[in-house]
Amino acid sequence: MQNQPVVSVHDITKTYGKANEKQYQALKGVTFDVHQGEFVGIMGASGSGKTTLLNILSTLDRPTSGTVAIDGQDVTALKGDRLSDFRAKQVGFIFQDFNLLENLTARENIALPMALQNVSHKRQQDAVDKIARTLGIDGVLDHYPTELSGGQKQRVAAARALVQEPAILFGDEPTGALDSQSARELLNTMRELNQAQGVSILLVTHDPFSASYAQRILFIKDGQIGSELVHGDQSQADFYQEILNTLGTFQN
Amino acid sequence: MLRKLALGGIRSRFRDYAVLFSGLVIASAVFYMFMALATNTEFLKGNSPIGITPIIFGFGEVLLVIITMVYIVYANTFLMSMRQRDYAMFMMLGAKSRKIAQLIFVETVSVGLLASVVGTGLGIGLTVMAGRILIQMLHAPATHFAPFWLPALLATFGFFILMFVIAAAFNAAKLLKTPMLQLLHADTTPNRIKQKGWVLLIQAIAAIVLLAIGYIAMTMLGKVGVPAIGLALITIVAGTYFLFNALLIWLISLLKRNHRFAAQGLHTFTLSQLSFRIRDYTKILAVVAMLFALALGAITVGLGFQNEIPKMASKQTAYDVVTIAPDATVSRQAAKLVDVTQKRTYTQKRDARFIYFDQGELSAHPLLFEAFQGDGEWARVKVDGHNWARYAADIDSQLIQFRLPADQDRGFKVVSAAAFAKLGGPSRQVVTYQVADFGRNYETIEAMVTAQNKRYQITSADMSGQKLTVYTLINSLYGGLAFMGFFLGIAFLAMLASTLMFKILSGASYDATRYLMLQKIGVRKRALRRSIRQEIGALFFFPGLLGVIHVLFGLQMFTTLLQGAYDHLALPFGLFLVLYLVYYGLTVWLYETIVIKKDIATD
Repeated sequence: MQNQPVVSVHDITKTYGKANEKQYQALKGVTFDVHQGEFVGIMGASGSGKTTLLNILSTLDRPTSGTVAIDGQDVTALKGDRLSDFRAKQVGFIFQDFNLLENLTARENIALPMALQNVSHKRQQDAVDKIARTLGIDGVLDHYPTELSGGQKQRVAAARALVQEPAILFGDEPTGALDSQSARELLNTMRELNQAQGVSILLVTHDPFSASYAQRILFIKDGQIGSELVHGDQSQADFYQEILNTLGTFQN
Repeated sequence: MLRKLALGGIRSRFRDYAVLFSGLVIASAVFYMFMALATNTEFLKGNSPIGITPIIFGFGEVLLVIITMVYIVYANTFLMSMRQRDYAMFMMLGAKSRKIAQLIFVETVSVGLLASVVGTGLGIGLTVMAGRILIQMLHAPATHFAPFWLPALLATFGFFILMFVIAAAFNAAKLLKTPMLQLLHADTTPNRIKQKGWVLLIQAIAAIVLLAIGYIAMTMLGKVGVPAIGLALITIVAGTYFLFNALLIWLISLLKRNHRFAAQGLHTFTLSQLSFRIRDYTKILAVVAMLFALALGAITVGLGFQNEIPKMASKQTAYDVVTIAPDATVSRQAAKLVDVTQKRTYTQKRDARFIYFDQGELSAHPLLFEAFQGDGEWARVKVDGHNWARYAADIDSQLIQFRLPADQDRGFKVVSAAAFAKLGGPSRQVVTYQVADFGRNYETIEAMVTAQNKRYQITSADMSGQKLTVYTLINSLYGGLAFMGFFLGIAFLAMLASTLMFKILSGASYDATRYLMLQKIGVRKRALRRSIRQEIGALFFFPGLLGVIHVLFGLQMFTTLLQGAYDHLALPFGLFLVLYLVYYGLTVWLYETIVIKKDIATD
């Protein structure tokens, strides 16, 4: 295992609004690391700043101050094509609303990041088939997103995020639009990916059940990290209870 | 309350409504422009030497009605797609179906009414402007041309109101039949290719057969007559539609199946966008191809007639203007002639019976005349003392420009330089001019001839023999046709532009989410831009290509009227291509500003 963290966040702040207007500070100095092969959850209520944090981590937004390093690379310094390429190769996303392109089939959606890097057709298809088997969607690859269930769509999105073997997978409420059965299946798959394949995962959620799959949970409130919970050796049910207890005290 | 809801809907999607509204305004403006000519029979009769012009305009009307109908139907689908979610929400909140139907009716009809009021206003303005510019440019007489023409106004209003009332009724009926849930989730459209291969094949074959029939019909216009135009109209419209429906879809799936091509970069995405589009766009692309053909065809034919005028005038006399003993006024005007290709000065002497030319001068610069060569052919010949007698009969009428009314009883004689020198009597200078472009020098030549005619009391065309007289005569026959060509060309071009832009921009806000997704998964901006250029490029290219082919065959209809129907194609085609490219650039730019997000931390 490498010593270098996969994600290293150092004292980031984010202020909205121009200097002479009314300003709003969404993040007030956040610092944490995600290590290689970790499954980290970030929890917080609406307006706590967790979406802002994820947007900054995933290079969709820039911090007002502070640095974010992914796989040792300072992403806040990236621009233009290098930033696009970084996104394509080093980060995988899954979003609450899937963000699949509905005019492409599942197979085409998953292959897209590789096509962008001009990987040969053969290698694209091999990679797609491999990741599809892992995620259990090899039977629906030639369907369009509108012909898939929510759970299948999210697996396709996950496959697209993982096909390039990124340094880290970011999830923004990936179970938010799923029924409980699909949500459970997706989370189990994510845990398996994490444990068997060593995929580092950072999951942002406000759902305690989703969060209970993580090894470590950071609680964010009013733009700051308030407390941290470690899964450790306890059972998932106990960890879930602990999360609920923490939330109960944390919100007040 | 209902009115408030209806208006509120407009305010919340202002940009989409602006696109919709401006598209409809242009459509009704163009409809008016066309009708201003088509319903003005006095104008058509007065400006066309051929009897079938009103019939051609009749077919044009049919075509324009079809095109406008497709446009309005499409505009209404767009309007409904914007509103159906809101309507569904009102229904969910408990609005009665009757109320909703009423709401749709009010909204649709008022959009149509407003668009046609503004559109006809714009149409009148454009008609005034285009008319004035063209009449000045072409020196076209355009008698009975009336920019404000009541029948056209009524036709435009009537047609648009009727169309919108029908559309409103149709919209309301359709909406009330669709389940509410489907309306609420109308944005996610399934995208499976439903057409079977053999259906596409039949359509492709039908397209080619229909187009072939249409093209042949146009070449047979001379033999078959008017029905050929009707046949061509039907077959070409249908053929164009099938061609887009079948051939392009086939072409795209072929490209998609070519893995080496499709697996590169955004190609799969671009192709999918296109097939997504083309399926949805077939009718609009067919309309664009027809409009392209009409606009380009009208301008090409207009220019053809315009070119025909100096060509025919030159068949009557070689010299663009001839001045006899020019005075200060005429000389001053002559100095203003541009691009003079030849200027010759000859000396004449006169006695009681003859006007004499100096063979010395003529052998250096023989006079130029049009002479009969047998078989109905005329050719330009050089005439001096040696062959004077041979051509005397042919050139007699052209010699009028070398004498004055006072010389009526004098004949012409060419004598040797020595004999000429010995002749007594008054001598005068005759100056002949040839210019590169008669049309450009029209005003100057007119001023020269008028001044000269006034000075020598030349009162009739027979007595002047100048090219100007002939030119004016031919211009009165062909100038009207050229005017119609250019006028309609401009009108169709405007409609073409608005149709394409409307179609592309109406989908833009919907596409924006797709492009944002691509940006999020790490597609370079340059790749996105390239994809957009290719996609819109295909939407411009295919109708353009088909339009050009239509025009090339369509010119067959004019081979009997125009001697050089296929000459000088470079100018109208080049001009049109440049306009089309500029327009393409503009659309791409507009589209990019809408769909590519500037600041997702990328810069």
